[in-house]
Amino acid sequence: MKLFNKKQLTVGITCLTLALVAVTPGCKKFLDTDIQGGYTADNYPYPSGSGPYDVYINAIYGDLRSYNVHADGFIVATSIRSDDADKGSTASDGGSDVITMDNFPVLPNNGRGNALWTGYYGMITKCNTALDAIANNTNIVADPAVKAQAEAEVRFVRGYAYFMLVRLFGNVPLIDKVFADPAAQSNVAQSSPDVIYPFIEKDLTVAAAGLPMVPPAKFPGRLTAGAANGMLAKVYLTQKKWGAAMGVASAVINSGQYDLSTPYAKIFSEDGENSKESIFEVQATASSSRKTEDGIQYASIQGVRGVNDFNMGWGWNTPSPFLEAAYEANDPRKARTILYASKAGAQSRTLYNEIMPLYPSEVPNERYNNKVYTNPSFRSAVNDRGGWWMNVRILRYADVVLMYAEAANETGATQEAIDKLEMVRARARAGNAAILPKVTTTDKTGLRLAIQQERRIELAMEHDRFFDLVRWGIADDALHAAGKANYLNSRDALLPIPQTQIDLSKNVLKQNPGY
Amino acid sequence: MKRSLTKFSVLTFLCLLFFNSTFAQNITVQGTVTDAADKSAMPSVSVLIKGATTGTQTDANGKYSISVPANSILVFSYVGYTRREIPVSNQTTINVSMSSASQDLQQVVVVGYGTQKRRDVTGAISSVKGDDIARMPATNPVSSLQGKVAGLTVVNSGTPGASPTVRIRGINSTNSANPLYVVDGILSDNIDFLNPGDIESIDLLRDPSSIAIYGLRGANGVIAVTTKRAARGKTSINFQTMFGIQHVTNKIDVTDATGFKKLYSAQLSNLSAAPFDFTNYTGNTDWQDQILRNANINTNTLSISNTGEKSSTLLSIGYNNQDGVVKYDNYKKYIVRLTEEISLNNNIKVGGNITGFRFTSQPSPVSLNSAIWASPIVPIQVNDNTYYSMPSFQRAQVGNPVAALNNRSNVSVNGGYRAVGSIFAEVKFLKDFTFRSTGYIDLGFNNNRSYTPLPFRFVNIGENGAANTTTFDQTARTSVRQEQAEYRSFQQDHTLSYDKTLEGGHKISAIVGFTSIYSASTTQSGSRSDSTVNIPNSPDFWYINVANASNPGNFGGAGSESSSVGAFARVNYSYKDKYLLNATIRRDGSSKFAPQNRWGTFGSVGLGWVVSDEDFFKSIKGIDFLKLRAAWGKLGNANGLADNLYRPGISNAGTAVFGNNVYSSIQAAYIPDPNLHWEVVNGTDLGLDMRALDNRVTAQLNFYNRTTTDILTSLPIPNDSRSYFTNLGKITNKGIEVSLGWNDKIGSDFTYSISPNFSYNKNVVNSIGDNINFQILGNGGVNKTETGNSIGYFYGYKQTGIYQSTADLGKMPRMSNSLPGDIAYEDVNGDGVISPADRTYLGTPFPPYSYGLNVTMGYKGFDMQLEGQGVSGNKIYTQRRTSTFAVLNYESNRLNAWTGGGTSNVEPILDNSRGNNYLFSTYYLEPGDYFRIRTAQLGYTFGPSLFGKTGIQKLRIYVSGQNLKTWTKATGYTPEAQIGNILGGGADNGVYPVPAVYSVGLNVTF
Repeated sequence: MKLFNKKQLTVGITCLTLALVAVTPGCKKFLDTDIQGGYTADNYPYPSGSGPYDVYINAIYGDLRSYNVHADGFIVATSIRSDDADKGSTASDGGSDVITMDNFPVLPNNGRGNALWTGYYGMITKCNTALDAIANNTNIVADPAVKAQAEAEVRFVRGYAYFMLVRLFGNVPLIDKVFADPAAQSNVAQSSPDVIYPFIEKDLTVAAAGLPMVPPAKFPGRLTAGAANGMLAKVYLTQKKWGAAMGVASAVINSGQYDLSTPYAKIFSEDGENSKESIFEVQATASSSRKTEDGIQYASIQGVRGVNDFNMGWGWNTPSPFLEAAYEANDPRKARTILYASKAGAQSRTLYNEIMPLYPSEVPNERYNNKVYTNPSFRSAVNDRGGWWMNVRILRYADVVLMYAEAANETGATQEAIDKLEMVRARARAGNAAILPKVTTTDKTGLRLAIQQERRIELAMEHDRFFDLVRWGIADDALHAAGKANYLNSRDALLPIPQTQIDLSKNVLKQNPGY
Repeated sequence: MKRSLTKFSVLTFLCLLFFNSTFAQNITVQGTVTDAADKSAMPSVSVLIKGATTGTQTDANGKYSISVPANSILVFSYVGYTRREIPVSNQTTINVSMSSASQDLQQVVVVGYGTQKRRDVTGAISSVKGDDIARMPATNPVSSLQGKVAGLTVVNSGTPGASPTVRIRGINSTNSANPLYVVDGILSDNIDFLNPGDIESIDLLRDPSSIAIYGLRGANGVIAVTTKRAARGKTSINFQTMFGIQHVTNKIDVTDATGFKKLYSAQLSNLSAAPFDFTNYTGNTDWQDQILRNANINTNTLSISNTGEKSSTLLSIGYNNQDGVVKYDNYKKYIVRLTEEISLNNNIKVGGNITGFRFTSQPSPVSLNSAIWASPIVPIQVNDNTYYSMPSFQRAQVGNPVAALNNRSNVSVNGGYRAVGSIFAEVKFLKDFTFRSTGYIDLGFNNNRSYTPLPFRFVNIGENGAANTTTFDQTARTSVRQEQAEYRSFQQDHTLSYDKTLEGGHKISAIVGFTSIYSASTTQSGSRSDSTVNIPNSPDFWYINVANASNPGNFGGAGSESSSVGAFARVNYSYKDKYLLNATIRRDGSSKFAPQNRWGTFGSVGLGWVVSDEDFFKSIKGIDFLKLRAAWGKLGNANGLADNLYRPGISNAGTAVFGNNVYSSIQAAYIPDPNLHWEVVNGTDLGLDMRALDNRVTAQLNFYNRTTTDILTSLPIPNDSRSYFTNLGKITNKGIEVSLGWNDKIGSDFTYSISPNFSYNKNVVNSIGDNINFQILGNGGVNKTETGNSIGYFYGYKQTGIYQSTADLGKMPRMSNSLPGDIAYEDVNGDGVISPADRTYLGTPFPPYSYGLNVTMGYKGFDMQLEGQGVSGNKIYTQRRTSTFAVLNYESNRLNAWTGGGTSNVEPILDNSRGNNYLFSTYYLEPGDYFRIRTAQLGYTFGPSLFGKTGIQKLRIYVSGQNLKTWTKATGYTPEAQIGNILGGGADNGVYPVPAVYSVGLNVTF
């Protein structure tokens, strides 16, 4: 059988060879397509000079404003779970996710729990990426001092993120590096708080040593040594390490950067941002062209749920009647914390003299969080009612002073405790000697109760109440007294590990007790 | 080739030589052979004596005369026609009418860079005729393939102009399961730009030996479309038109005002909340009725073709217009096609075709869910500019659907152009060689302009004694938006082919070729709002520059680029037309992988044995044709893979804010995998083609077993929100496809056919992430992909009932916080309590069984067609019922909610704080099985005799009904499971209704 004659064969082979020879060298170039309109880590034009790592660090600051870090889940888990706040809005709004955060028990499939988990771990991943770049990215030229400060800044955020995670969830996986095989992260087992807390202390200690005392002028609100020490004080206090807490708290107090000169009424409004009171404040801003991108959905979730001009938000996280009842007579802080709806025959006005809508016909709630109430001039300038420009006060000076007082009382430095407590009450008095008498008791238990009461009032609706109740060991009593009969400290002090995360780890993660 | 004696007939003739039988007395038989279709005489028909050496042919007038034994059998055969065997039985005149067998073995099918006779095919290829698509009331030709081919799953969408979801032989990858479309040689991801009336045929290539030649994009199967060409030797004009009405046959059953009030009151009471003040809510609105409508659909095609001595031309224009059943959806398609072929001489042919496509679309601004969610107690509107808002319990979350509809309809100018074309030159040389070069372009330009009007005024109905208040959002501003996108793709194919038939029964056909594709896109968008004046609601103003540049705006732009090359070779060899071999090899390179992983070599082998041509088979009566097939192939796949994932891409991240200063930042856009490489599909196929009982019975049977390794998967990394694309795991799909056909006639005028098809697919994930302990969750953990089960299966609790009482809680397994009225789940692991460990396999979202049935009947000029189609064995997740973000209208199953001991054992208590009842369980699953009367069509064809000298050759009119009746237990707008999402499939989140279509049509040829 002869398939080809000789001529055919020659022609065929020639054609084939020509075709292959012609295309082969061209192929290599043809297949080398590049990313269009984007960079890779290798060709990114990293800025040199000061702040060469800012491109990474800025992303971490961006995460601090993320919905899953300091907005929805954060408000629900730190405040609505406590006795000071109710879910708010209409009865069924938020569904079982949020209703159970108010009433317990929270279920393992709770979306807010999972959102917090992914929010904080997402931020931790960004921190690990930045730390990896600081240590290993040879494309970036920086001198050691710059590297040290960048590392300090990143490690503050990572330490803070783990501090949130350990208080929310208890046993959590410790992810402290960029994994060579990304998939290996899937099966990192949980570490107990015994391991997590020293890790947090280390990060925050490094941060305190490497961060400046004062942020550069162009960067108001940027992290400082004071923020690291203040946060470290809370970490120690949570572990009842009283002496260590006093040490770092006094570093803040003695730094000379902070004082209680800002009137209580001013701390929370737009013109009180980054005041002498402010230690760690999540920065946000907005303009009419960027209403939300540079802001945070923090005030809007708690905004008055009315119509027209009062359609400010969801109306969540409303001050509870138990908080209302906890104030001493004529404490001016009450009016700055609780915004009352008008009632038939009892008109209520806002900080800015606007007449509040009527409860129950115009708004579904009697009280709203006044600490997030926005200035109408900002609303009209931004042309938005959502208040995305409101900074979130995470740590302020009065908190550190009260932490010092608490630790001092526990270590027996009674007079120091009384003095620090009085500093806070003195400011609250705002010159009115007839109210908020000085606490003089030297009885340790009595003083402890007074300090606890002062923390509750001074820092009301500021996201510490639930964690405080748990670390004081009084969560069962306090929450039962506030009508949350389902609360069971052995179970509900921690959120359940999100079922989604357990599933993703294929049961390497273990559920918290009681769930 | 038509009406000439082929080698096949010669071969048949030669085979017959070897048979001997005893001859009886010879007689002379004569007669005329005619074409059954038009009664014309058929010349050159082979007339043989069965089992003998002698034979003859009909003359130019179709007449024959032959001397035969009186008891012999005459065999009449002709290419493209069904062979007939007629016993002589002492007759001296035997007139024979022969029917064209258009689905017959001589039909040519597309096999990639060429065609092949169906008879010689060694793989599983099915064909659908263009006419069967054009006569269906649809603007997208793919939708009409539903139910027609075994192994093909089509999930239709009612959205005007939308492409259906198409799966061939199950889910082979967690990445993309979409098939490749090849239109006259050009590779494409869809065929939206085609007019159904322009399609000659569609071939579905399913097995690895058939698709190997297409290389890197073909692994999920290939849908090869051949468009119409000018008919040989004549000038003809064809006009087709269809007009139809679409109607939603099943709305979602939600409560009316009375039901809603009852249920919401019960819910509040269960939450111990104050009752809602319904006093002023006197409405009873069926929101679905307000946004749905009966909608028109209209398709038209006019084609003119002419063939001269050296050239052929086909010109076609088409216009399709489809209104959506959701107000005021609309999609229009305008298509112009020109196909030209010129033979320069006997050896050189050049040609080209170009399709110009224009579409406009007007998407509906209202989501169907809003109509299902909106409370029925609210009236619609006060006047044209003032509407009622929803009650306080859903005001922030659910808008008035009619207000949304009227406010945002017709506020955009959306459309696009696409030009798809090719030009080729073909040279035949040295007798057996053909060299062909083809260049293709596919260019798309989309252009959208849209406008955000001021909102309407809303009346909040007074609650708790308050008066009605009218609200208007003072912060709202008018704005305009413009978007432009350009897509460009260039392809070149060069092939050298060789065809030769040698003495001794050897036939060889070989091809070598080279192909490359380059694709790129550029997009821009911008918007600006006007803070000082209100931009009028007229398209003349909808350009960004209408607003002063000092106003707030957003602008964006992006691009993409990718390329691939392939070199391939294929040999088809047959010996004595009985033994068939098909071997393919292809080497592919893709820009999506790093240079060191870029290249892959793949190939396939197909074998066929035409058993019925073997001598020993001659004695077997009844079976006319029997072919056994076996094929094996190994394919590389990168279908649907995004560009550049192997390198460390960077994206802009959230800004950092310090005071009022804003600073930009970057982050890794994804986790890169520098080792990303080809996903490899290994498949084997066994098949059988049979025709029996004088070709009245046809059967095709396929078994396949296909394994995909190194699947390209997006692996969710816990604690990291960035996506990570890597190669991981192994999936197997095994299945059976059966296609049967029976066609016959009763008397001389009544013809009928029945063709059922059936397919079964079993999907198993053999491994996923061997190096880590892993599973992939989809749709928030509802779907799970893990080793040992089918891909993306439903994973959750099994409902056993409802806890009726506290006594039940004592004796039944439960959760720590279970209460009477909650769903009771099955204690799968038997530990006495209900915990996440009791979640289990609840079913698959992908139908393992699908089937179709096609019945046709013809009587004189009448034709009738009935098509049925269905799937079975899958589940649908009624996710639309799980939303808890506000109080939403209830689906009517909730009217039976548990209200106390013994009231319901299915529906839990109305209390949305009971999170246990929102856990994913069988409560939210319903069977996905359905059977549907897909088509019922009745037509009548008038022959040329009726029209005399008008020039009309043929005229067919018809009435047709589509989706007339569906039997299903699914409660959504369509029981067609939404399987586009591979890892999280099967969820019904408010699917666009697939309507019934009642249509009339006309097809006339001059």
